[in-house]
Amino acid sequence: MSIELFDVEKAFGKTQVLNRLTLTIHEGQTVSIIGGSGSGKSTALKHMVGLLRPDDGEVYVDEQNVSRLDQESLYQLRRNVGYVFQFAALFDSMTIAENVGMGLKRMPDMSGDAIDQRVSECLQMVDLEGTAEKLPSELSGGQRKRAGFARAIATRPKYMLYDEPTTGLDPVTTAVIDELIVRMSDELGVTGVVITHDMKSAFRISDRIAMLYHGGIRFEGTPDELRMCEDPVVKGFIEGRPKLMRLAP
Amino acid sequence: MNRGRELLVGLVIIISALTAVVGTLWLKGTNFGRPQTEVDVLLRGVGQLNRGNAVKYLGVGIGRVENITVDGVAVRVSLLLDQDMVLPPDPAVVLGPESLFGDWQAEIVSRIEFPRFPFYEVPPGEGPNVLGGYALPELSRLSASADLISENLADLTDRLGLAFNDSTATALASAIANLDTISLEIRALVAQQSAVAVSVTASADTALAEIEQASVVARRTFERIETILTDAQIDTIVANVRVASTGIQEIVTSLAESTGGIAATIKRADSTFARLDRISARIESGEGAIGRLLVDSTLAIRAEDVLAQIDKLLQDLRENPRKYVRLSIF
Amino acid sequence: MPYMVDATRAIGRTTLRTVAAVGRFGYLAVDAGRALRKGSLWAPHLVGQMAKIGVASVPIALFVALFTGVVLALQAAYTFTGAVPQYFVGTLVGKTMLLELGPVLTGLALSGRVGAAIAAEIGAMRVTEQIDALETLAYDPVAYLVVPRVIAGATMFPVVVILADALGISAGLGTAVLRLDMSAFEFLKGLRLFFESWDVWFSLIKSASFGLTVTSVGCFFGFHASGGAEGVGRATTRAVVVSTMIILALDAFWAATLLK
Repeated sequence: MSIELFDVEKAFGKTQVLNRLTLTIHEGQTVSIIGGSGSGKSTALKHMVGLLRPDDGEVYVDEQNVSRLDQESLYQLRRNVGYVFQFAALFDSMTIAENVGMGLKRMPDMSGDAIDQRVSECLQMVDLEGTAEKLPSELSGGQRKRAGFARAIATRPKYMLYDEPTTGLDPVTTAVIDELIVRMSDELGVTGVVITHDMKSAFRISDRIAMLYHGGIRFEGTPDELRMCEDPVVKGFIEGRPKLMRLAP
Repeated sequence: MNRGRELLVGLVIIISALTAVVGTLWLKGTNFGRPQTEVDVLLRGVGQLNRGNAVKYLGVGIGRVENITVDGVAVRVSLLLDQDMVLPPDPAVVLGPESLFGDWQAEIVSRIEFPRFPFYEVPPGEGPNVLGGYALPELSRLSASADLISENLADLTDRLGLAFNDSTATALASAIANLDTISLEIRALVAQQSAVAVSVTASADTALAEIEQASVVARRTFERIETILTDAQIDTIVANVRVASTGIQEIVTSLAESTGGIAATIKRADSTFARLDRISARIESGEGAIGRLLVDSTLAIRAEDVLAQIDKLLQDLRENPRKYVRLSIF
Repeated sequence: MPYMVDATRAIGRTTLRTVAAVGRFGYLAVDAGRALRKGSLWAPHLVGQMAKIGVASVPIALFVALFTGVVLALQAAYTFTGAVPQYFVGTLVGKTMLLELGPVLTGLALSGRVGAAIAAEIGAMRVTEQIDALETLAYDPVAYLVVPRVIAGATMFPVVVILADALGISAGLGTAVLRLDMSAFEFLKGLRLFFESWDVWFSLIKSASFGLTVTSVGCFFGFHASGGAEGVGRATTRAVVVSTMIILALDAFWAATLLK
């Protein structure tokens, strides 16, 4: 019950995005992946649900080799994975309630009433009770992000993947989201992977933190270990000092 | 919302499907629910007839050709008629072009209208709704027939020329007392023929048959004329008259011209032959001066009388030429 | 000399790209074929797409057909003056409408309307990660997005084209009667003279293939859109250009194979 990446390589055209990336996320833990833009964070996350397939190396989720699964088994696996997109990726033509209920409709044992009930529960969790019948275009950016969050958690997945869940949100909403991520982990035992730039929330929510640099792991450890880290690249990143990073070998 | 949309989609599909089906059937000329009669036609060939071509009766479209199959040595054409129609007495079917550009058609006719068409003889085993048919010759065959016609015409013209050559015409003219009247009548007859310029409409086959008949009649007529003309007595009279009359020469010339006119007219139209046929018939039935002469023996006798008188007249003329100076006027 | 090398490279690059695109299109086609089995995913959206692609296209198709019919009749009459009998106007309008202009002009008009809309819609979903979102929610996006559109296109194009054919021919008839001093009877005589029910089938087969082309090409370029709003615009343009080209090529293909 874990997510493992072994020597994953991925290139888009001539750009090598992931470079022998090896990372293990243990069950029940919440791991934040930090790193600069273009360091391959989102690409790594997409490999974990089979949205991208590695050029080389292997990705295991729930002891299944994601890159080798046929379509049906992959969809089966994805029912256990919730994915929060950076810009919410809500379906424009559907109401918020329909968006949140999308994943539930694919579950064979959910009746229409059960779906409605679950949808309103999820919307309540993210403070969006009044928006059920609205279209995504009628919501603010923060509300949309929370709606995307609600859609991801609606199926009660064992794994949650968050692609910059708090970027662009005000501090209060950020705190709400962070709290939700922690609750998912603490109350439901969900295994979480969070991509973030926000060091404050990374320290707040993470059991472990990994830093990606040029497509590989530069650092991996607990938040406390990160604070102690003397690597100029890591230090420069968490303290926001680019000059320091440039000194690195 | 969703149900309304379903309704709209369904409606558009139904309208479109109906348009396609009804439009196709309509353009194919199918009838809905109306009673239909099936008639089979047997013939030796169908020319350019195709499935779907029109069936006509008295010029009115009443159905279409349903099927064409080879049946032994004949061709069986199935016609689907729109209604319970009553066929004409002794019905038959003529296949021919509907127009210069269009398809062929099958026309239901009465055999009496086209006695010379070689309709297919339906074997007795067939039912009442099986008719004999005849396909008109195609254009290529028509031109071949036209060649034949012109050959026959040339032949006929030769014979006419023979019959109306100088000496026989002179003899004929001299044999008749009232020369003015007879020449006028012949001229009127010729003029009548020349005036008739009917375009080629009926079939070439009919024309051929008529030509043949006409030439037979003509031959017969001329033979009879010749028997009268070969009478020795007339010969001597003619010899006398030729010397005497210059006016007769004029008539002869005009007759020769008229003969040329006849030839030209005949070349133009086959219908003229029907005309000639009729004239021959008229001559035979005794109409007109020649006719009367040929048919009525008393007339012939009277003509002989006239000839005798002419003889006397000529004698008198020889004796007293001055008394007859004005004779040259006619 | 370097220019020569560059030019040769450009040819090579274009060829490789085209082959790669055809290959990707083949993959999409195979995926779509496989996705046909997932009726629960595409069936609920079929009617909606039929309304969007078919019913909503009826006005533009009729508009095109109306003027085509009028122009055909006028030009036929102009051409036939003299030697050819007037009723051939009916023949020409009917044959041309059914065999060629009905399906092709409708196909071209709808490649702009339907193909562009599909490419833009799916392209926008691609660049805003909505297609990825479908994947993560265990929806096969090919079954969910492509299949209903392609089926709707292949079934509704013939429906629209039949209506266009009918209106075009009627417009020709109207023109012949009102402007050309022909009788309706004459026009219908010409129309019926060489009419075959196969012509209607031909029209239907052609338009179904055009519907398949326009929708699948639109889906393909939408699916492979990348690079934000600009990428969506690029995908839309390409969808229209490519489906127009394929329609014309298919037109020639059908004429060569089916009209014998």
